[in-house]
Formats: sequence, structure tokens, C-alpha cells
Amino acid sequence: MSPDNLSALRLSLQVAVVSTALNALVGIPIAYLLARRRFWGRSLVDLLVTLPLVLPPTVVGYYLIVLLGRRGVLGAPLYELSGFTVAFTWYAAVIAATVMALPLLVRTVRAAIESVDRDLERAAYTLGRSELRTALEVTLPLARNGILAGLVLAFARALGEFGATLMLAGNIPGRTATVPLSIYTAVQTGESGEALGLVAALTALSCLVLVVANRLGARAA
Amino acid sequence: MTSRLEVKVRKALPGFTLDVEWSAGDGVAVLFGPSGSGKTLTLQCLAGLVRPDAGRIVVNDEVLFDAAAGINLPPQRRRVGYVFQGYALFPHLSVRENVGFGLRGLARAERRRRVDEVLERLSIAAHADRYPRDLSGGQRQRVALGRALAIDPALLLLDEPLSALDLPLRQALRDELRSILTGWGTAAVLVTHDLTEAYRLGDRIVVYEEGHVIQAAPRSELLWQPSSRSVARIMGLRNVLQGVTLKATPDRIQFRWRGQTLEAVNSPTHSYLPAADSPLAFFIRPEYVRLIRKDRDRVDSAHHMNLMSGTIVREVDFGATWILYFRLDEPGVPAQGDYDLEVEVPRLVYEILEIDRDRHWRFSLHRGSIHVLPSA
Repeated sequence: MSPDNLSALRLSLQVAVVSTALNALVGIPIAYLLARRRFWGRSLVDLLVTLPLVLPPTVVGYYLIVLLGRRGVLGAPLYELSGFTVAFTWYAAVIAATVMALPLLVRTVRAAIESVDRDLERAAYTLGRSELRTALEVTLPLARNGILAGLVLAFARALGEFGATLMLAGNIPGRTATVPLSIYTAVQTGESGEALGLVAALTALSCLVLVVANRLGARAA
Repeated sequence: MTSRLEVKVRKALPGFTLDVEWSAGDGVAVLFGPSGSGKTLTLQCLAGLVRPDAGRIVVNDEVLFDAAAGINLPPQRRRVGYVFQGYALFPHLSVRENVGFGLRGLARAERRRRVDEVLERLSIAAHADRYPRDLSGGQRQRVALGRALAIDPALLLLDEPLSALDLPLRQALRDELRSILTGWGTAAVLVTHDLTEAYRLGDRIVVYEEGHVIQAAPRSELLWQPSSRSVARIMGLRNVLQGVTLKATPDRIQFRWRGQTLEAVNSPTHSYLPAADSPLAFFIRPEYVRLIRKDRDRVDSAHHMNLMSGTIVREVDFGATWILYFRLDEPGVPAQGDYDLEVEVPRLVYEILEIDRDRHWRFSLHRGSIHVLPSA
């Protein structure tokens, strides 16, 4: 494998791991709130979180540019303050992958939390546990397999992210060119041998992820 | 210690409103009524899991909820033990961890001692390190009780504690539960829709119907004096009938029903004195109707009061007993559809009297087995 391919592979794994961690941090609380709380704006949160699943990735990428680009809603003040811009860095790839994978994680984890018997939580409340402690000691441990399955799916989605990443992070070899982007470049420039190695690597990884997800899903059921 | 429980709760849900008020003292109060009558919702209000719209809940001298005063203790601070329907044991924790779950505030040694004591008292110490899925139904019940009792609750709530079990086990565990509740002495509120369970377990019975309390009384009183036709119906009483009063005295009530003049004993504790010609509801337990043997030709009037005769229009074999549906000889519309009276006879009696061949009978009702229902 060429050094470029190796760096693409390393970058892809790095992006996938970091975005999966971010997903866990943001997605699990959102999934819990959607599953267990009735609050104002709940449907809106549900809609926003699910939207990347149905929108074309380039459209999501466009919104991300509007939000985080150098002249974006959040991006402009950030640039003013720190001289730093997210776009065209590997952080951008992480953010694009996180947003695209979030619906998969939230939906899987939410279903797992909803399948936990509410009486178990009520029992914990009557035994003196706060809602947070109950979530940490009862709900989430019992939803564990669903959470793991959600994380595996999110990891796979992040690994394969193309459209939104291209929009926000670009396709800079060694910096933002993840495996899917490198495959695209290789095919475009006629280096089909290069493409084949990456395609094989990504296929193998995806198969592995599916097997793991199925195992977890079977145990959760 | 004497305990005192006062409950006054109003809670409106879409399509259902709970509006109840009752009180109880020491021992077990049973909330009895059909499914969907608001019993579980009441428990959830007591435990602080559901916030009532209005009302007041007091356990002993502690106000747990008072809408007017803006008091609403969270479930964490109510010290109420809750045994859930299906038990809700934590499946990922061992028996020991389940029982100790509510004791986190205690020091480790103290906690261990308390858990050991509870496990010992409920005879589940041998299973301390097993998980709920490896326990039998009876062991699960004891773990659920132990978990709720370990926190030394001021009040114990039990939601259909026996409904998860099959019938033979249910009866055995009902008696076990009774002895645990008596032995522990914690004031308890137990929900059931099973009348036998209500009687075996309750010291006081509160009858629910469609979100309201229709009677609250000590067990003994409820059995013989259901306060109304709807209580009688919910209790599954048969032959709930309506007649017209002739004469009522503190000892006896005479009334007309389907052309017969019947006499009943008036309630010894609260005599009921309806005016003449006013409607009167009463019930007759099917097993108390006495068929008169034809080989005894003399009818002793001191022995056989409230005499009637009729024909069997239908019968159902229940194995140990037969249910016979009698239509009186009196012309007119039968009181209960195509029959007037449901009569239950033991199988042996059915066979000895050859009821399968002989369909016309005279029968009598002792005045003590006609139960007048105050208010129709």
C-alpha cells in the first residue's frame, strides 16, 4: 500500500474513532432525553437529529459550511476570536462524520432505552437514587448492548462518510482525504490499483463491523 | 407503633380521572377493583412517581404531598417501599445487590449487616449471590419484598404482588406473603383485582371503580355488607336482585320479589330501615339456596323459610359443583334474563338427588342468607 493510502487509512480510523466518541458523549444523553422525558421542543430535537439520515450528505455539508465556514454563523465569530477555522482541517472531517452518524446512534440507543422496563427506574427512585444515578446504574447498563450496537453503527457510518466531509473538509491528501475520498481521487485519476487496495480494506472493515453489530443486536434482543 | 395513612388524590389523565379519598391504619389496606380503576395510579401517587393535580397524602405525621401547601416530596425522600407488579428486580444485579440497593447511604459494614439480616429473615440468604433470572417465582417475591423492606419504609406498597405467578404457587405464596406482612408489621397498601386475595391479605378493603372509591371498610364488614349494588357486582356476587320493601324493623326486613314474600335478617351492625314500598336491593349467595328433598314429604316451616319452587332452565358442570339456573313457577318476566335464581350444589348432592333427571324443585332460603344491600 502506498504511503498516501496508509495515511488515508490512518486518518479515516482517527476520524471514525474520535467522531464515535463524540457521538457517545452527545448522542447517548439526547437518546435518553428523547426516550424518557417530555419537554418543550422534543419533536424539533427529534427531527433535527434524524434529518441527516434522510437529507443528501451534500446538503448536510452545505448546512455545515453555513454554520462553521470561515464566514459561517458560528465560524465567523470563532475566526475573529482565535484566527482558527474548522473548515478544511481534520476536525471538519470529524464534525461531518459525527453529524452524519448521530441519527444511527440516537435511534438505536433510544430504542434500547425504551425497551428498559420503566418500573426498574421507578424502583431505583423509591430506593433513593436520583434520575442521573438511576440512568447510570440501571438504565444505561441494561441498554448496554443497544448502546454498543449503536456505537458500532456510528463508527461504520463515520468510516464511510463522503459527501458532507468533502463539502466541509475538502479532499486534501494527508490532511482531510479519508479513505472514501482517496478512492474517489484514485478512480478519477485512473489509478485503479490504488483504489482496489482501499476498497478491499474498507469492505473488510465494514464486514467486521456488521458481524459485531449483529452479534450485539442478537444479544440485546 | 400505630400508623396512620390519609389519602386524598385527584389526578386527571386523558380519558380517565382518579378522584379518591380514603384512610387506613395499622396492617394491610387492600385496594380492590377491576383493572383500569385507578389502583396502580394511586400507588404511584403515594410513592411520588406521579404528581396528583390536587389532594393531600399523609403517612403517620409526615405530609408527603399537599397541593394547597405546595408540598411534594420526591420519591427519593418518601421512605416508601414499593413492590412492583412483576417485581422489577434489577436483572444485572445479584440478590444481595438488589436488596442493598436502597442502603447506599449506610457505611459498608452497616449496609452488609442490614442486608444479611433481611436475607436471613426472608430465608433467601442461600441465594444471595444468584441473579434474579435464576430464581423461582417465590424467591423473586421475597427478594422484591426484601429490597423494599430493607430501607425500613414507613409504608409498603404492593402492586398485584401475586399476579406474575401461576395458580397453585399463587395460593401458597399468598399465605407466605400474609405471614411476612404480619411478621414485619409495616403498614402496607396492596393492590389486587382478586377477591380471595383481598380477603386473605387485607385488614381493610377499599373498593375502586372507575377512578372512585365506592366503599372502604374493614374486611369482615365488606364481605357481608357490600354498600351498594355496584360493590356487590365488583365483588363478583351473584343473584344481586331487586325487590320492594314491605316492612323493615331493626331485626327483620320483609319484602316482595317475583310474587314471593321474603324475609331477611337486618344487618346487626347497621340496621337499614327503608320505607314501605321503596325499592330494595339484596343478594343471595348461590351456595346458600337449599333444595328440598322429595323423599321428605313434610316441610318443616320453622326450618324451611322463604319457600319457592321452580324449574331448572340451564345447568353448568364446574367439576366439584353444579350451577343450576332456576326459573320460578310464578308467571312473569324472570329476574335475570331467562332465569330467576342461580343455585350452586355440590356434585355429590347433584348425584344423590338425581337432579339430572328431576328438573322441578322446591327450595328454601334461610333468612340469614338473604343479604340486603343498603341503597340500591
